[in-house]
Amino acid sequence: MAVCTVYTTQSLHSTSSISTPSKTHLGFNQKKQILFYNSGKRVANRGITTVPWVIRCSGDTVVIGLAADSGCGKSTFMRRLTSVFGGAAEPPKGGNPDSNTLISDTTTVICLDDYHSLDRTGRKEKGVTALDPRANDFDLMYEQVKALKEGKAVDKPIYNHVTGLLDPPELTKPPKILVIEGLHPMFDQRVRDLLDFSIYLDISNEVKFAWKIQRDMAERGHSLESIKASIEARKPDFEAYIDPQKQYADAVIEVLPTRLIPGDNEGKILRVKLIMKEGVKYFSPVYLFDEGSTISWIPCGRKLTCSYPGIKFTYGPETYFGHEVSVLEMDGQFDRLDELIYVESHLSNLSSKFYGEVTQQMLKHSEFPGSNNGTGLFQTIVGLKIRDLYEQITASKAAAPLEATKA
Amino acid sequence: MASSSITPLNLSSSFSSRPILSPSTITSLGAATRRQEKRPRAATVKAMGGGGGGGAKYKGTKMREARLREIIEEKVAEAKEACEGEAAASAECRVAWDEVEEASQAKAHLRLKLEVLRQDPLESFCGDNPETDECHVFDGDEE
Repeated sequence: MAVCTVYTTQSLHSTSSISTPSKTHLGFNQKKQILFYNSGKRVANRGITTVPWVIRCSGDTVVIGLAADSGCGKSTFMRRLTSVFGGAAEPPKGGNPDSNTLISDTTTVICLDDYHSLDRTGRKEKGVTALDPRANDFDLMYEQVKALKEGKAVDKPIYNHVTGLLDPPELTKPPKILVIEGLHPMFDQRVRDLLDFSIYLDISNEVKFAWKIQRDMAERGHSLESIKASIEARKPDFEAYIDPQKQYADAVIEVLPTRLIPGDNEGKILRVKLIMKEGVKYFSPVYLFDEGSTISWIPCGRKLTCSYPGIKFTYGPETYFGHEVSVLEMDGQFDRLDELIYVESHLSNLSSKFYGEVTQQMLKHSEFPGSNNGTGLFQTIVGLKIRDLYEQITASKAAAPLEATKA
Repeated sequence: MASSSITPLNLSSSFSSRPILSPSTITSLGAATRRQEKRPRAATVKAMGGGGGGGAKYKGTKMREARLREIIEEKVAEAKEACEGEAAASAECRVAWDEVEEASQAKAHLRLKLEVLRQDPLESFCGDNPETDECHVFDGDEE
């Protein structure tokens, strides 16, 4: 049975719940033909439409999982994703200023740290890191992601990264697209089964080290040794609990040092792989020139002039943890706009809505890290793929009642 | 691929002096139209930010920045101690470095929000509660 809930967008607390039978002769129009009830009193449609409201029926929410070890607020990936759908993602208004949640018109991004069962003190007492599953409440995570997917609002806890404490919960309403990001989106099987699409951001050790140096060296208290020690100390838990999730991901973005400059260990130029699982419903991998073949492509030459060290693409079928995948790899960086457009024009199955959309999206966020290399490019492409997936899922759901009426 | 009109782009422009693409030669795409300032990119080896200032608008945010900075310093010292000698493989040692990482990540995200996204996390809260101490606004680079 489909459950539809009405939310007034002004007040967080006024909701009315009504249920409609899913099998109805109303078909697509079932949403429009509902009467609204507010605490037993019948309120006319007209009365409610003066207050902005939104109706969300169960089964509308598409859930995306994003795994990475860089904490929440992978703002750049999330902003690229939300901007593909239009609108900017902001923290929730009027709530806890230390909330980790981001909300846009279509998308809500939840930080899985909010499901820590142990706060900083608790973890210290028990001797577990945040990477350890024992520090996380997977039952609650499953319960709430399931509820949101079914169109129900939840009171989600907040993990405060400054104080290290668990703050009082915030009301989280089901969005069109729910993104759960953090260390363990694919760890628990039940949560995994709720995901419509999953991504794993796999940063190689050398690149991780280089990025952490850039990130932390300016902080008092940090030194090269402390950064190295921190990475080493977290490795065992990372390899035991986080890394194995990548076998479940529909798409993996793997970031490695470049091969274009021999002996380069500065981590400035990156080789980025987009590993795309074959056979995933609603997901058609991007390809270069000829799907399923193996290609090596250097766009720089007579038509395009690139500066050192240039750009190199490879594409081909591979096996990844026993699955068939297609891998698109970019090594090098973009220096000029025309390089980006030239590359875009040669990629196929981008799920873009117009020629140049990928370039336009990259330019929109040109100040973000990764805007001139494969990380930004593939994050943008994954964003378009998610949009495509979302549209296909909603179209297939709309078609379902029609099918029922034909029966 | 359907061809359609794109905003006219200056395809011959070269931005080789800066490693990132700049939209400054194109009309605004409707998104943020903030001016590109000449500051080192996060991806260059020289680290961004770190010290005070750099974008916090409200006192509460400055306080959080300072607090995180303190936490990092404290936790690094604690971790070095917890990992001395034989304790290097202990759970205490791992937890201590994980705490350092947590605080470093939080600080980096705050810095990213302030310097790249130009958003103060207290914006919405302070919009509703301008009189609170946390929402005292700093002018320019007042410390």
